[in-house]
Amino acid sequence: MWLLAAALAAPLPAADTYFLIAGGLGGEPDYEKRFAVYVGDLEKLGRSLAGDASRVTALSGKAATREALQASFDNLARSTTPADAVAVFLIGHGSLDTNVYKFNIPGPDVTVEDLRGWLDRLQAGRQLVVAATSSSGACHDKLARDGRIVVTATRSGTERNAVVFARYWVEALRDPAADGDKNQTISALEAFRYAEEKVKRFYSDQKRLATEHPRLEGKLAGSFVLARLGDAAVAANDPARRKLLTQRENLEQQIDALKLRKSALSNEQYKKELERLLLELARIQEAIESGR
Amino acid sequence: MAGKRIRHRGAESTEHHQKTRFLVLSLCALCLCGKTLLGAALDACRQHLDRGRITEARRCYLDAGRATSDPRLLAEIYWKLGDKHKANDLFRAAVAAQPKDAERRVAWGRLFLEAYQKDEAAKLFKEALELDPRSAEAHLGAALVASGSFESAAVEQAKKALEINPKLSEAHTLLASLALEEDDAKAAGEHLGRALEGGGSPLQAYALKGAIDLLSGKNDSEWTAKALAHNPRYGEAWATPAHFFVITRRYRQAVDLYRRAIEIHPELWEAHAQLGVNLWRLGDEAGARRHLELAYSGDRFSAVTVNSLKLMDSMKRFQTHSTPRIILKLDEKEAELLRPYVEELLLKAIDTFSKKYNFAPERPVQLEVFPNHEDFAVRTMGMPGLGALGVTFGYVVAMDSPSARPPGGFHWGSTLWHELNHVFVLGMTGHKAPRWISEGLAVYEELAAGEGWGDRLTPDVIRAIKDKRLLPIAELDKGFVRPRYPSQVPVSYFQAGAVCEMIAQKWGFQKLLAMLRAYTEGKTTPQVVRQELGLEPAQFDEQFQAFLRPRTDKVVGSFEEWRKLMETAVKLARDKNFTALVEPARRARDLYPEYVEAGNPYELLAEALAERGDKAGAAKELEAYRLAGGHSPRALKKLAELEQELGRKDRASHVLEQLLWVWPGDEELHAKLGDALLGSNQPQRAAREFQALLALKPLDPAAAHYNLARAYHQMKNREKTREHLLSALETAPGYRPAQKLLLEINR
Repeated sequence: MWLLAAALAAPLPAADTYFLIAGGLGGEPDYEKRFAVYVGDLEKLGRSLAGDASRVTALSGKAATREALQASFDNLARSTTPADAVAVFLIGHGSLDTNVYKFNIPGPDVTVEDLRGWLDRLQAGRQLVVAATSSSGACHDKLARDGRIVVTATRSGTERNAVVFARYWVEALRDPAADGDKNQTISALEAFRYAEEKVKRFYSDQKRLATEHPRLEGKLAGSFVLARLGDAAVAANDPARRKLLTQRENLEQQIDALKLRKSALSNEQYKKELERLLLELARIQEAIESGR
Repeated sequence: MAGKRIRHRGAESTEHHQKTRFLVLSLCALCLCGKTLLGAALDACRQHLDRGRITEARRCYLDAGRATSDPRLLAEIYWKLGDKHKANDLFRAAVAAQPKDAERRVAWGRLFLEAYQKDEAAKLFKEALELDPRSAEAHLGAALVASGSFESAAVEQAKKALEINPKLSEAHTLLASLALEEDDAKAAGEHLGRALEGGGSPLQAYALKGAIDLLSGKNDSEWTAKALAHNPRYGEAWATPAHFFVITRRYRQAVDLYRRAIEIHPELWEAHAQLGVNLWRLGDEAGARRHLELAYSGDRFSAVTVNSLKLMDSMKRFQTHSTPRIILKLDEKEAELLRPYVEELLLKAIDTFSKKYNFAPERPVQLEVFPNHEDFAVRTMGMPGLGALGVTFGYVVAMDSPSARPPGGFHWGSTLWHELNHVFVLGMTGHKAPRWISEGLAVYEELAAGEGWGDRLTPDVIRAIKDKRLLPIAELDKGFVRPRYPSQVPVSYFQAGAVCEMIAQKWGFQKLLAMLRAYTEGKTTPQVVRQELGLEPAQFDEQFQAFLRPRTDKVVGSFEEWRKLMETAVKLARDKNFTALVEPARRARDLYPEYVEAGNPYELLAEALAERGDKAGAAKELEAYRLAGGHSPRALKKLAELEQELGRKDRASHVLEQLLWVWPGDEELHAKLGDALLGSNQPQRAAREFQALLALKPLDPAAAHYNLARAYHQMKNREKTREHLLSALETAPGYRPAQKLLLEINR
């Protein structure tokens, strides 16, 4: 069903997508290195999607202070419009202090209240917050809001162990296998599903009790694009192609509708009709690509 | 106290009851010594039990119970009347009343032992020894605890008990039993002689003497007859020898003996449990369940019974695949993934060994593969906590699934091959091959099965050689049965394998088969060595040492140097100082080329060489690692990647194929191998890989279906191509490559 949701909510063009990536305190050299690598990778991925380096802010190590984060949010508040999208990634360790989630950074930690305040001030109509830290599940209640998708590495604040979620989140944004519907883009929902499954397998393969359970809340995660793969979809500017694009969209909707009716049809009827629609879709796509 | 039923028995019993009661009360009234007199009354009850006079024993205990309020005596009374819970409470009260009395703790410990709770028993024996280090009974208790898990402490503790009390018959019978477990009938006989001289009940000694006779091939024993004359209900006269047949893997004979035990003593619940477990080992599940359920109805304390029944229930989710040659039982969650690989290897093993050992299995080989290691342990011994990876009972084999351990935790292909060899050796010798040669041959065959298969010379083995702890050939079985030091079992596996290797090299493989035949005739190891190899065992041992020296001298002599080099190399690797690590890593590798455990020099060198762009050098190191027996999935995947980058696609595919026998649960492995096989025009094998990928419920099912479609397309199977393309596009309608292929097949 999630794939259906992703298909129905086809990627909506955002005016611009802005990225803010913060890597927190590692506590040990190994974690410090890892977090720095993840931040670096996300920064590159962000620049690739945003198409403009000025829309990507990455803070790591000593630079990731409360003041610096606040300044970055202030900048976003000034720069973004309601049509824009903002993706905030927190990489590191989190903690739960008298039921308040804190993102551990040099100097005073950032609390979930801070985050809420900063995010609420943004004009961007579509927001994604990914807290890839321990105890991050405690963020959901505070951060939930229309237009905002919240992804956390843990189910609740009591899952306090260091998490592996961040590694798989980053991997998701680079791995074509994460592109479940093969539309050459990776949405927040697809990235989440990929990372969630990888986390589950990590613990089961290592024969360890899972100490983290990723969680996603918020609507339209299937349409929040985070990465593009290969040669992404083409030109909405050519009128001939525009007509073909419309035909393609219609066929995709017919296919979705057919899938919903699957249980009401015999297997043979379903396959025959599916094949017919898919063949037509394939021909349309061929035409789009050849420019006919 | 309860006893309505007893009270309403016939006149004779009433008179007897009255007499016993009178005696007990009179003695108490004389106040000669309450405890001692009641102890004497209990002796009478024990006598009845010893003679199998159950009714009289019950009556006696009931009477004694009415005559005392001493918790220590009441504890034994309730225990013997079958109420272990009440007995437990009474022992607790007895110990609380006299906390410095070691005997109470010992008796309590014996109750826990009977209830299979050896940890609690061990604690009590330890406490008793703290109170009274000279308590022979406490040492005996500790010996009994250790004997249950084949620990060498059993012998030590039993001997200590005898130092304190040389007449302690039960210690003698225990030592006899332990000697018999190591196939030392002579020592066993000597201990039993002393046990019988010591007085007390002769039953255990008779049963063990009977066991000696039956194990030597006799059909009957006068000692069994003596035991049954002493106590006609003494089922242990048959159950005791059955235990030794089980540990020497002669399960059929054990089953017959357990049946005889329960025939004369239908309430011998432990015998029912063991009968059940062993019937299951022979593949008779219905019979097994029947006896296990009976055992459970009579004795809910037995963890073996409970665990076995629970496992039987959980195995209902296993899928069974039967053919005339094999019966394969796989957990439903991984059956689709594993079946093709397991079946292929199983049939290959059967074909190979049938030819090599000139023996055709007389029935299908049954293989059960467990994704949960503790289930495998219960299947094997009724209890969790087993260190082994696979076990063979005859035609039934059980083993860990690759998914039972973390990736790369073991080479499941080697394990299966090893166990299948046991099927043949046990089958052709009627289970008479001693442990050393059956394990030795299995290890030898693993190494012969494929490049990099089987285990290598480990640091434990090196230490054992350095400390001169390898066993003489005549005693090699002991290394498997009752290890004297923690790593003696794996060291014995290595030694046995090396012995078989030497025999095969010097005398030819057929000589090993001749030795097996000699064992079938009932010969001992010294006799077989003399007869078949023309050597005295001591001469053989010398030749073996000489055989081993070229392989081990260098590393044994420079083990410390190797260790230091490894420490240096590992530290340099951690610091990413790749240039500096090359020299110590190379030296370490050359000193001990068989070392392929975590942090081995091959992987360190490969990483260092890859860092400086020397892909060919890195690949060479990893290939050497693989051939030396290394099977880390990470390292082998890296090797495949390097081979691919170097344009050596066939070698890349070959490496990936080897990884199937280590960790088939890897999506990327199947995807890459499938692609490579398609690329080299092997669509059937490619299809197998993509099917395996689908069985893993991959993150990208659309791609898996598409690739399977490609494979079928190469096989010109239009129907299957279409089926999988539709599946791919159903998931991802915009998937271009799949769309293109769909158009192609419809043109």
